[in-house]
Amino acid sequence: MKSPLRLERRLTQPRALGWQVPLVSIGGALLLGAVVLLLTGKNPIDVYWRIIQSGFASKTALRGTLVAATPLAFTGMCAAATFRIGIINIGGEGQFFVGAIGAAFVGIAMDGAPTSVILLSMILMGALMGSAYAALVGVLKAKFNTNEIITSLMLNYIAGILLDYLIFGSKSYLRDPRSMGFPTGKPLPKGSWWPTYNIGSAVIPFGFLLAIVIGASILFMYKRTRFGFEASVIADSPAAARYSGMRTRAKIISVMAISGALAGIGGATDVGNFRHVMDAKGLQLAGYGYTGIVVAALARFNPFSAVFVAIIIGGLTNAGYALQGPDFQSGLVGTLQGLILFTAVAGEVLMRYRIRVRNNEKNVAVAS
Amino acid sequence: MKKFWKLAATAATASLLVAACGSSSDSASDTTVASSDTTASGDGFTLANFTPLEGGTVVDCAPKSGPIKAAWIYVGPINDGGWTQAHHEGLKAVEAALGDKVETTYKENIPEGPQVGTTIDQLVADGNTIIFGTSFGFQDAFAAAADKYPNVCFEFETGYIIKNNMSQAYGAGEDGDYLAGMAAGAATKNGKIGFVAPFAIPEVIRGVNAFALGAKSMNPKATVKVVWTNTWFDPAIERKAADSLISAGVDTIASAQDSPATGEAAKVKGIPWVGYDSDQSANFPDIWLTANTYHWGDYETARVQAALDGKWISGDYYGGLNDGFIKLATFGKIVSEDTKAKIETKKAELSAKSGSQFTGPIKAQDGTVKIEAGKTASHADLMGMDYLVDNVIGELPKG
Repeated sequence: MKSPLRLERRLTQPRALGWQVPLVSIGGALLLGAVVLLLTGKNPIDVYWRIIQSGFASKTALRGTLVAATPLAFTGMCAAATFRIGIINIGGEGQFFVGAIGAAFVGIAMDGAPTSVILLSMILMGALMGSAYAALVGVLKAKFNTNEIITSLMLNYIAGILLDYLIFGSKSYLRDPRSMGFPTGKPLPKGSWWPTYNIGSAVIPFGFLLAIVIGASILFMYKRTRFGFEASVIADSPAAARYSGMRTRAKIISVMAISGALAGIGGATDVGNFRHVMDAKGLQLAGYGYTGIVVAALARFNPFSAVFVAIIIGGLTNAGYALQGPDFQSGLVGTLQGLILFTAVAGEVLMRYRIRVRNNEKNVAVAS
Repeated sequence: MKKFWKLAATAATASLLVAACGSSSDSASDTTVASSDTTASGDGFTLANFTPLEGGTVVDCAPKSGPIKAAWIYVGPINDGGWTQAHHEGLKAVEAALGDKVETTYKENIPEGPQVGTTIDQLVADGNTIIFGTSFGFQDAFAAAADKYPNVCFEFETGYIIKNNMSQAYGAGEDGDYLAGMAAGAATKNGKIGFVAPFAIPEVIRGVNAFALGAKSMNPKATVKVVWTNTWFDPAIERKAADSLISAGVDTIASAQDSPATGEAAKVKGIPWVGYDSDQSANFPDIWLTANTYHWGDYETARVQAALDGKWISGDYYGGLNDGFIKLATFGKIVSEDTKAKIETKKAELSAKSGSQFTGPIKAQDGTVKIEAGKTASHADLMGMDYLVDNVIGELPKG
C-alpha cells in the first residue's frame, strides 16, 4: 500500500522558504516538546517561558549564553567551512584540542610580554596547530583519496589521548608541577588572560567578537574571492574543476587547513578567555567539536550564520542547566534539546523537497 | 570523574598544611594529622575529624527567614552507581535530617569548565546560600565564586583550595582499602590478586598500597598486579583491563573504578571480586567480597545545620571509619567467618588510629625502606605517596 504523501524534489527554492522552513521547524519542535512535557506533567508554556528567561532574557543569561556559544561558534565555522564544499571534516574536536594545547603553551611561555602580543600569538598558535592537524587529513584525502570522515574522526581520538598524556601521563610543560593529588594543567598567568567587555549588564568575551569577525571574513572568502569560487566549483564537480585547470588537490588541503585553523582558534579562546588552563578532561567532556557539526548544519553551512546559531544553541544549553533540578531531570532537558535540534535539522528536508498528496484517480487512470 | 575530587582532596590537604605553616615549599613535612578527635573552634562549631581554617571567621549564610536553600552540583548523573550517587545520597540524608528547615536542589551532568560558574550564578540568584561542589574539576570555578559571593558558604568534595567561605571534605579511603585488601588476601588461592586502578596519583597509589598491605596481612605471599586505566569511568576499558589481569592468572580481583565492569569480568570466570564505592553484593552474590564506600550524609547534615545556626566556618574535614564516613560494604557469602572476625578486629584498630596500617617497616618495590620499622606515615606522607609497596606488581608512569 502506498503512502498518500510523497516527497518531491523542488526544482526551484522560493526565497520565502528561507524563513518559512525554520519557522515551521521551530513550531514543530515546540509542539513535539509540549507533548513530552504534558506527558511528564509539566506546563509547556511555563517551561518555554523559563527557557527564554534563563537562556536569553535574564541579566545573567546573556553572559552564560555567550560563554557556551563562543566555542560552538568556532567549531560550527570549522564544520561549515568544509561541509559547504562537500568535504566532511568531523575532526573539529581534535583540531580544537591541539589549538588549546598550542595556545596554552604560548600563553604560559610568554608570561611577562604585553597582553596584546600574547593574545595575538595565542590566536596564531591555535590557528597554526589546528590547521596543521587538519591539513594531515587534507593531504591524505588529496594524495591517497582516503576517506576524510574516518581519518578526521580517528585524529580526534589521538588528540584526546595526547591531552591525557600531557597532563596525566607525563610531567610535561603544560602540567602543573604543584598538582600533587590530581594532575591538572598549569594555570595561565593573569597577563595572558583574554579580555571581556562589559556593555550594560552584558559581559562579552573577546573570543566572541573574534568569532564574528572571522565568520564574516570566511563568508566573504567563499562568496567574493577566486579561492571561494574555485572551491565551490570543486564541490559541485571535481572533474569539471580539474579540466578547467583548477588545482583541486591543493584546494582540498587549503580548505582543510582553514577549517582546522578555525577550530584551533576556538581552542585558543577556550584557554585564553574561559578556562585559563589546558583542561584535559574538561575539553574532552565538552564535545564542542561534535556539537559544532549540528551548529553548522543548522546554519546551512554558512560560516557567518554559524556564529548566530551558536548563540541559540548556547542559550538552549545554558537554559538547560538553569531548568534542571529535582523537579526537572536532566534527561528530560536533554530530550527537549534533542527534539528541538532534531526537528530543526529535519526541517532542512523541506528546503529541498516538497510534500505532495498523491492523486489517486490519476494513478488509477494510468494503470488501466 | 568522580575521583578527581578525591585526588584533589589529597593534594588539597597537603597544600592546606603548607598554607597553614605559611611556607611555600612544596611538601611540608608537617605532622598535623586530621585525627579522630573532636576539634572545637572558638565559635562553637564542632565536628569530629574537622579542622577549622586557622584564622577563619564565621560566615553567616543563614537565611533571613524560612528554610535554608542548599544546592549540590554534580558532574555525573545521580544514578551513576558510584561517586555522584553517593553524593546524592548525602543530599537525601540532609533532607531527611533537617526536614522543612532546608530546601534542597541539585544540578546533575554539569560539565567541568566555564559552565560551572554560570550554574553557580544561577543558584545564587535563586537564593541558595550553601552550595556543594562534588567534582575536582569544578574547583577553580568554586574558588572564583567564593571570592565573588563572600556571604555564600561553599563546600567542596573534594579538592584542596580552602578559603574563608570555601571548605574542603574527604576521608581516609585507605583505611577501607586495607580492610578490603584483607578480604582479597584471604580469598586468593594462588596468591595472585589483580587490581584495576584509575590514575597513578597519590590518592589511588595510597589505596592500592593499603590494599596490598591488607592482602599481605592475610597471606604473606599475596601479590597485587595493578593495571592503570587512566579513566574514572569507562566500562569498556575497565572490562578490558580486568580481562587482561584474569588471563595473566590472577584468581581474585579488585577495582577502584566507578563501574562494576570488573565484577562482570570476574563473574564470567567465577573469581572473587572486591568492588568500589558501591555495595554490589546483591548483583554479584556468588563472587562478592566487599568494598570500600563513602558516606557524605552526616558531614553534610552537620554543615548545613551549622549554616542554619549562623555558625558555619571553613576548614578541612577528613572523615574516617570512626565517624562512619568510611564504611565497608556488606560481606559476600564467600567471605569466611574467620576472615570477617579478623577484618572486624583490624577495623576497630584503624577506627581508633586512622592510617596506622602504614607502620614500618614498609618497603617500596625496589627494596628501599620507605617507612622505618616502628614509625607510622604522617598525614603529609600519605597525601604525597608516590611509590608502590613491595608486593605490588606494576609500574608507575615515568615523568
